[in-house]
Amino acid sequence: MESLTDASLKALSLLVSGDAELWAIISISFGVSLQAILYTTPVALLTAYALAHFDFPGRRTLVSLFHTLLAVPAVVVGLTLYLILSRSGPFGDLKLLFTQTAMVLGQMALSFPILVAMGHSALQSADQRVWETAHTLGATPLRAMFTVMHEVRYGLFAAVIAAFGRIIAEVGCSMMVGGNILNYTRNITTAIALETSKGQFAQGIALGIVLLVLALVLNYSLSTLRHRLAMQA
Amino acid sequence: MKPPLFLFRHVTKRFGDRVLLNIDEFAVSEGVCTLISGDNGAGKTTLLKIVSGLVKPDSAKVQVKDVEMSWAKARAKIQRSVVYLHQEPYMLDTSVERNVAYGLRLHKEPRASIYEKVAEALRWARLDHLAHRNARSLSGGEKQRVALTRARIVNPSVLALDEPTTNMDQQSRISTYQLIDELRNEGMAILVASHDQTGFTPIADHHFQLLSGKLIEVEPAFKRSRGTNITRLPG
Ligand SMILES: Nc1ncnc2c1ncn2[C@@H]1O[C@H](COP(=O)(O)OP(=O)(O)OP(=O)(O)O)[C@@H](O)[C@H]1O
Ligand SMILES: [Mg+2]
Repeated sequence: MESLTDASLKALSLLVSGDAELWAIISISFGVSLQAILYTTPVALLTAYALAHFDFPGRRTLVSLFHTLLAVPAVVVGLTLYLILSRSGPFGDLKLLFTQTAMVLGQMALSFPILVAMGHSALQSADQRVWETAHTLGATPLRAMFTVMHEVRYGLFAAVIAAFGRIIAEVGCSMMVGGNILNYTRNITTAIALETSKGQFAQGIALGIVLLVLALVLNYSLSTLRHRLAMQA
Repeated sequence: MKPPLFLFRHVTKRFGDRVLLNIDEFAVSEGVCTLISGDNGAGKTTLLKIVSGLVKPDSAKVQVKDVEMSWAKARAKIQRSVVYLHQEPYMLDTSVERNVAYGLRLHKEPRASIYEKVAEALRWARLDHLAHRNARSLSGGEKQRVALTRARIVNPSVLALDEPTTNMDQQSRISTYQLIDELRNEGMAILVASHDQTGFTPIADHHFQLLSGKLIEVEPAFKRSRGTNITRLPG
C-alpha cells in the first residue's frame, strides 16, 4: 500500500496530465447529471408553479409529500428503479438496466423533489402584484407565469444548483442502476467507492478533489444567489 | 347617450363576517372620469380590483353591451379592456424602460416602434433620465410615475387608478391630472380611487363616496363644463 503523500501527488499528476480514464469518468458524471437536470427542471418548475399558484384540493398534502421525498435515500430510489428496469420488472424489455439512461432516470427522480420543493418556496415568495401587474397589462397566463418566474429567478437558480449538487454527489442510485462499467457508467462517485477498495487511491483522491472543488463552486454560487435574494427583498 | 362599457350590478364582497361591498349599480362609461373616495379600509381597492377582473366578488352581474352575464363570464372581457394601477405599484426587476415596454412587448409590434413609443412616454413623464435604471431602485413617486406610464402606454379602454398621486410631487400631480383629463376627453373611461379630492374633483364627472359598502354620489361642488381648465386647480 502506498503512503498518503505518494497517493496525493499521484492524484495531482493524474489531474494535470489529463489522464484519459480519469477524465472519461468525470465527463460521464457531468454528462449524466446535466442531462438529468436539463430534463427535470422544466417539468419540476411547472409543477412548483402549479402548486404555488392554483388552489386545488390536496395541494398542501402534495407540497408536504415533495418535502418528504427530499429525505428518501438515493439507494432506495436506485432499488426502486432497479426493480422496475430489471429483466423481470415491468420495463425490463427496454433493457435499460446498467445504462447511462438508467442513471439519468435515477438522478431525475432524485432531483425532482428538490426542484419542486425549493422552486415552490421561491415562487410562493413572489409578490401577488407581479401576477396582477402582468395580467392587467395584457399577459396571457403563460406569459404571466414566465414573468413571475423571472422575478424570483435567483431562488429558482438556487433550486437548480442545489439539485445538481445532490445528484452529482449521489452514489447509491448510480451504483445500483448504472453498474459502474468503465467508460460507460462509471462516474466520479461509483469510481471512488469501488476503485478505492482495489487499492487505487490516487484516482480516488483525484476524483475527490474534483468533487470538493465542485462543491466549493456550487456553494459559492448559492451564497451569491442568497445575497442577491436578500438584496431583492 | 351611449350605453356604458360595463355596468356592474349587485356587487357583493365579504371578508369573513364583514360585508365589505354591497353595491347596487356601478357604471363604467367611455369618456367618463369617476372618482371614488372613502376612508381607509372602506373597500376602494377591492372595488377597483373587482372592476378590473383581478379579484373575484362573492356575486356580481355585469352588463356588457346590453347583455347581462355573471362576473366570471365577463372576466376575460373585462381584463382585456381594463388596466389596473396598484396603490403601491410593483416594479419588475428590470430597467424603467423595460417596465414601461412590458405591455407593448406582449403584442406583436416591431421593437423599434415600441421603443420609440416608450421613449416618448418617458419624456412626457420626465423619466427619460432614469430609463436605464433598475425600476426597483426608484423613489415612491417615481415608481408611481413609471406605473402610470406603463399603464397608459397600452392604451386601454378603461384605466383604473388606485391612489395614483399619493407620493407624487406637485408638478407630477398636475401633469397626472392633465393626462387623465386628456385621456378622458379622448374617450377613455377613467376610474380613480383617491383621498386627493381637491385634485380630482375638478376633473371628475362623477364623485362617489364608498360608505358602509355602498356608493353614495357626492354632489359636485360646482357645475362645470367639459374640458376643465386645469390651471385653475387649487393647491
Ligand atoms: N384578501 C383579503 N382578506 C381579508 N381581508 C381583506 C382582504 N383584502 C382586503 N381586505 C379587507 O378589506 C378592507 C378593505 O380593503 P381595501 O384595500 O379595499 O380598502 P381601501 O378602501 O382601498 O383602503 P385604503 O384607503 O387604505 O387604500 C380592509 O379592511 C382589508 O383589511
Ligand atoms: Mg386602497
